[in-house]
Amino acid sequence: MQAPSWVQDVFDHYLICEFTSIDNGKPVTFPLLFFYDNNSAKFVVTSSILFSRKIEHMKKNPKVSLLFSNPEGSGVEKHVVLVQGVAKIGDSDLDHGWERFLPMWRKKEPYIDGFLAAREQFAWFWKRIVV
Amino acid sequence: MEEWRYFQGSGGNQPLTALELVDPDRLSLFRYGVLTWIDKDGFPFSVATDFLLSENGEILLRKPSAHPTMIGADVAVLFNHITGIPTGGYTDRRYMLVWGRVSEDKGFLKLHPEEVSEWDEKVLPFDKLCAAAVPQGKKYLESLQPSIDA
Repeated sequence: MQAPSWVQDVFDHYLICEFTSIDNGKPVTFPLLFFYDNNSAKFVVTSSILFSRKIEHMKKNPKVSLLFSNPEGSGVEKHVVLVQGVAKIGDSDLDHGWERFLPMWRKKEPYIDGFLAAREQFAWFWKRIVV
Repeated sequence: MEEWRYFQGSGGNQPLTALELVDPDRLSLFRYGVLTWIDKDGFPFSVATDFLLSENGEILLRKPSAHPTMIGADVAVLFNHITGIPTGGYTDRRYMLVWGRVSEDKGFLKLHPEEVSEWDEKVLPFDKLCAAAVPQGKKYLESLQPSIDA
């Protein structure tokens, strides 16, 4: 099903979402960079192992939500969209599994390459889990 | 992005007030909150809503038009700020996540804070945040160890 164009704009251009996982029945919400794959119509977020508590939550309860409420920096009109779904965790290749999303990441954060160049310095930040 | 400051308001004889748990000056830096609860279907449900601080330091959220199911339930309210950069990306990242419960109060939802977690990159630069999070990274790697060993 094709989403309305204003929803598509949100998915294509918003920088972040408010991502909620569930910890023992309590919601835990953090701002997260997300990627939307138009071909699969699925959302992807990645997480460093450094900030992996949310991954632990999702392994116990995969129900999550993504609220798109903050158009800051996106250049598109403000709309608010809530997406609920089931998270699937990919942590079999922490060093390279997330790299296929780098082109989408680069579009949102052009300076990420500079940070990536310091990969040795931030080694554990670049060990990433794909959701 | 996870916490650089975490505070839990339990353990004493008297419950802490919103003012004791949440710094109103810091909270006033945010424009709106994202109120989240677990809905009847078990999925998180979030709404963006305006808020104001009363003279008594109470956090009053504008009541969403629907979904009153969060009354009395565990809720999380995220106050988030970023500044977009014209060439792409963003800076000035800071957020405050407040857990607690809400009650109806004069047309608003009054937030009763119980725990707070927050990060401001101007207070704790990102590299220092990463350094502080190493124990969590180590724990996650250790949790994967059995599958690596297999």
